[in-house]
Amino acid sequence: MVEPVSPLGPAHRPGRHGNPASGIGVTLSETRPGSIVEAAGWPGAEKALIAAIRKATGLALPDGAGGGTTAKSRSAFGIAPGKFLIVDQAEGAAEALRAEIPIETGTVTDLSHGRTALRIAGPKAEWVLAKFYALDFSLPAFPVSAGRATVHHDIFTQIQRTGEDQFDLYVFRSFARGFWTTLCHGAEEVGYEVR
Amino acid sequence: MSAGRAPSGGRIDRARSIRFTFDGRSYSGHAGDTLASALLANGVSMVARSFKYHRPRGVLSAGVDEPSALVTVLRGKVREPNVPATQIEIFDGLVTESQNRFPSLDFDFGAMNSLAGDLFSAGFYYKTFMGPVIGPLRGTRFWMFCEWFIRRAAGLGRAGHERDPARYERMNAFCDVLVVGSGPAGLAAAKAAAVGGKRVILAEQEPVLGGSAKWSGETIDGIEAAEWASAREAELAGMPDVRLLPRTAVWGYYDGNTLAALERVNDHKADAAPGEPRHRHWTIRAGAVVLATGAFERPLVFPGNDVPGVMLAGAAERYAVEYGVLPGRRIVLFTNNDSTYRAAAALRRAGAAIAAIIDARREISAGARQLAQEAGGELLTGHAVVATSGRKALSGISVQRYDAASEVLSGEPRQIEADCLAVSGGWSPAIHLASQAGQAPQWDERLQAFLPPKPTQNWIGAGAFDGAFTTRETIAEGTAAGATAAGARASRAKPPEVEAPELDAAPAPIFEIKAKGKAFVDLQHDVTAEDVRLAHREGFVSVEHLKRYTTLGMATDQGKTSNVPGLAIMADAAGKSIPEVGTTRFRPPFSSVPLGALAAERHGDLKPERLTPMHDWHVENGARMYTAGLWLRPQIYGLPGETVEQAYVRETRTVRDGVGIVDVSTLGKIAVQGPDAAEFLDRVYTNLFSTLPVNKARYGLMLREEGIAFDDGTTWRLAEHEFLMTTTTANAGKVMQHLEYYLDTVWPELRVHVASVTDQWAGAALSGPKSREVLAACMKGTAVGDDALPFMGIVHGEIADVPVTVCRLSFSGELAYEIYCGAGHGIHVWEALMEAGEPFGIVPYGLEALGTMRIEKGHVTGAEIDGRTTARDLHLDWMLSKRKPFIGSAMMDREGLVAPDRIQLVGVVSLDNRALNGGAHIVEELDPENPRGSVGHVTAACYSPVLGKYIGLALVKGGKARHGTRAHVSDPLRKRFGPVEIVSHHFFDPEGSRMHG
Repeated sequence: MVEPVSPLGPAHRPGRHGNPASGIGVTLSETRPGSIVEAAGWPGAEKALIAAIRKATGLALPDGAGGGTTAKSRSAFGIAPGKFLIVDQAEGAAEALRAEIPIETGTVTDLSHGRTALRIAGPKAEWVLAKFYALDFSLPAFPVSAGRATVHHDIFTQIQRTGEDQFDLYVFRSFARGFWTTLCHGAEEVGYEVR
Repeated sequence: MSAGRAPSGGRIDRARSIRFTFDGRSYSGHAGDTLASALLANGVSMVARSFKYHRPRGVLSAGVDEPSALVTVLRGKVREPNVPATQIEIFDGLVTESQNRFPSLDFDFGAMNSLAGDLFSAGFYYKTFMGPVIGPLRGTRFWMFCEWFIRRAAGLGRAGHERDPARYERMNAFCDVLVVGSGPAGLAAAKAAAVGGKRVILAEQEPVLGGSAKWSGETIDGIEAAEWASAREAELAGMPDVRLLPRTAVWGYYDGNTLAALERVNDHKADAAPGEPRHRHWTIRAGAVVLATGAFERPLVFPGNDVPGVMLAGAAERYAVEYGVLPGRRIVLFTNNDSTYRAAAALRRAGAAIAAIIDARREISAGARQLAQEAGGELLTGHAVVATSGRKALSGISVQRYDAASEVLSGEPRQIEADCLAVSGGWSPAIHLASQAGQAPQWDERLQAFLPPKPTQNWIGAGAFDGAFTTRETIAEGTAAGATAAGARASRAKPPEVEAPELDAAPAPIFEIKAKGKAFVDLQHDVTAEDVRLAHREGFVSVEHLKRYTTLGMATDQGKTSNVPGLAIMADAAGKSIPEVGTTRFRPPFSSVPLGALAAERHGDLKPERLTPMHDWHVENGARMYTAGLWLRPQIYGLPGETVEQAYVRETRTVRDGVGIVDVSTLGKIAVQGPDAAEFLDRVYTNLFSTLPVNKARYGLMLREEGIAFDDGTTWRLAEHEFLMTTTTANAGKVMQHLEYYLDTVWPELRVHVASVTDQWAGAALSGPKSREVLAACMKGTAVGDDALPFMGIVHGEIADVPVTVCRLSFSGELAYEIYCGAGHGIHVWEALMEAGEPFGIVPYGLEALGTMRIEKGHVTGAEIDGRTTARDLHLDWMLSKRKPFIGSAMMDREGLVAPDRIQLVGVVSLDNRALNGGAHIVEELDPENPRGSVGHVTAACYSPVLGKYIGLALVKGGKARHGTRAHVSDPLRKRFGPVEIVSHHFFDPEGSRMHG
């Protein structure tokens, strides 16, 4: 299979950057999942959709806005009422979901190429993200596995907390390089490492 | 004798010397000094020239309320004007200069303005800039000519022209309790809230927390107040859910308990750490807010009250205690309240001689009398200062007997020698944030001050903000406020013991001593007491009008020291009480906010750009990139030495004769799925989509509700319930919103989902008579001949091992295919197509060639679907289905939209063999000297290689009826005039035989 090209291009510069006196406040990386899929249920079919997602991926989503779940190589979270983003490091999740979600329950949209997954991790992750989003990133307000759909400048972002100090950001691919560059600038003061 | 450093004392670090410059001269100060304290320590008392009269001015205050001592800070060539010297922390290499003077602060030509003082009275600008209404200059622009000189003569600092390289950032914060102000009340509140387990932010505009505890000289729980404050700060800093924000001014209180704050991160440093922003603009969303913002001392208004050396008494005390600076060696104090006596004693302890304490009241408290004894010097009660002497520095004052009740001065004026006059007219609680967040403040007769209004949002006041002026009260109030804000019960712990003199902060109701000479109310804008009275005489009744007419309380200090005295003088003139006159409502910002901080990374850093999957290939292969909305798209792929026109003509010819490839990834793409998807498309498009078979595409047109054309594009049916809609690049977002709006609010019963998949697919259009051969050469898994892939047909296959979807459709008018693959595979497929096309002489082409071919074909884009044209105007009426209603169908037949004189799409051919310009007018009669009579305009223009002429599309009144007639382009802006022929918009292959071939 042909390896997809990262949209970050020359903006992706592995190594340590920013304020050396600060140590490494955050680590930035592109997680490059094989599948990023949006599954949406019709009003009243949310529970059936959640069950279908579980059957297709093994991920047990909580019912409710912003809820999410993470497993070793896959995760899912709510991005809107009755809408979920399902991410898998392996390819083929869209087909697996389509097989379980009939048109009476909802629809499946493959966004594997259309969204870019960026990870920010480290003790200063909340601090750096607070520069960009009007969201409360504290652990009680934004628990592990939960998701949020939000916007930074004109860049739509879906965010899942995948660890106590780790967040995965999903941005439109065409914006990814510009957004990544800005994220790096925002991380400069705390020192950052690109992996 | 003048101001200078006290031999000991102060909370500065005397072991650390710091060099800085002011007006080109080098001075030395200590760590912990402000520019104001350091200049005073160096004996510099005159630091500025005033706004209108260019009068010498010194330092009035020690904080954010400073009206006079405004300076410009220079960082390299970047200038920041109008920064209060009281707010600048000195550092090694700090460069500052005075403002509003020429050639120097000491000798200023502008001081001549003082001689014409009466001319510059209240309403000067309103009276002056009306222009002459009588006399020989009537009707001329003479005054506009004068305006430049007048404006230069007055004013504050001068902004620079250099680009500011500093980084600014925005920050979002959420907390349960925000405490504004870190004096004893704020510290107590933060602790009470934090022990309740809440997330607390404590914001303090000054670099060091503690507020009045830093200079009160009181003891709290047996230790010095400043030590007590440091201990509280350390305690708070150790709590996990507390964030301390020094150097952070909370400047705006907005709905939903959202507050705006400015953190000056590195203004006090010589160099910024890598990545460190200069300022952070905080947006704080707080569950509850404790306002512990303290109070501002206000001056008394009397003649000569603006001479350098006249200072607020509390500020003088602060300079002595906090900075170890004596604002004068021989000090007179003038007051109407008890608080000044503490200052007198503190100044004496610091080493100054107290020449006299002058109190306008006849009676003073026992506590005050005791402090007066401690301070030494004469105590003159029932007296008032009536004049000052000295021009650039105070040398003495005149004092007379004064009866506060009758405001009568009596006896002979007496001179007292002094180099500093410390004045106090009472205290005004800093209610600005509460006023922004609520209603009109309430006048307190005892305190002679406005107290905060009742809260309309979730805030609680504490301390001097609330009119509590003893430290004991402020700590008790702070503790209670913090607990309440945290939703906890008030602590039963014993309040701390405070040792402080027994003083009453309530002043006598005295604001102005009426005597001969200029008495300033607003030092920043040179507004005198007489100006306020003049405004009253001229009929200004409302305080809001008074403010605008006299400019009292405007500019950078927003009248922190002048509002209440101004109102009192206005009330006196009107024979009303102060609450009857009322006050202006405070607006944000509380203190000045650099625009850079508001713009933050919006400026210079992140300019959202959208890159197509093939962007890097285009750049590497010589494309000149062009900004189309947020997208960067190739304009041309120029060869060395080629002009833009030569390049696009070559690219166009290659496509028409052979084959070319263009990146169409930017087209908006929306996945429309669901059992009702076809029905939904029937409603949003003017033509039918429910009849479209699977694996076929159809061109569609959308109207807005009122019948105007909205957007066009092809929509592909990929499965029974799955469509891929394409939109124009420019309208992708708008169309998505339009669809979501209808699904969410108008037709919620339709089971349809829409999702933006613009970025999911890389798109390349292969165009030209040889395009089929190129496609056939690299396509696997499907045939691409006319039978398998007819016009508007769709097939799925693989190119270079990557799955692709191909639709045969044409924008160029040639045989053409749009090939889509996953965006991450975009370059891979593009390169495979280039390789397959090499034997056929394929070229990549850019937006110019794309535009040229669409003009030749007469296809419309956003230039014609411009929000004013209808389907009929664009000859798209064949797409208006009569078999169903659709968005816009009810309104599209209104008279105005079907009128025969509407502009319609036509083609134009240049008859003088010169290029046409988009935007040029079309006129029937050409008159370059007097351009008029537009009948339409050119929407797009190019050189047409197939016709060998400059052509264009235009929207012209009457449209088709003008075919074959002559007109002219009239483009006065670009001086392009010339004859054109109006023709059909189908310049090339009107039958479409090439694309159907």
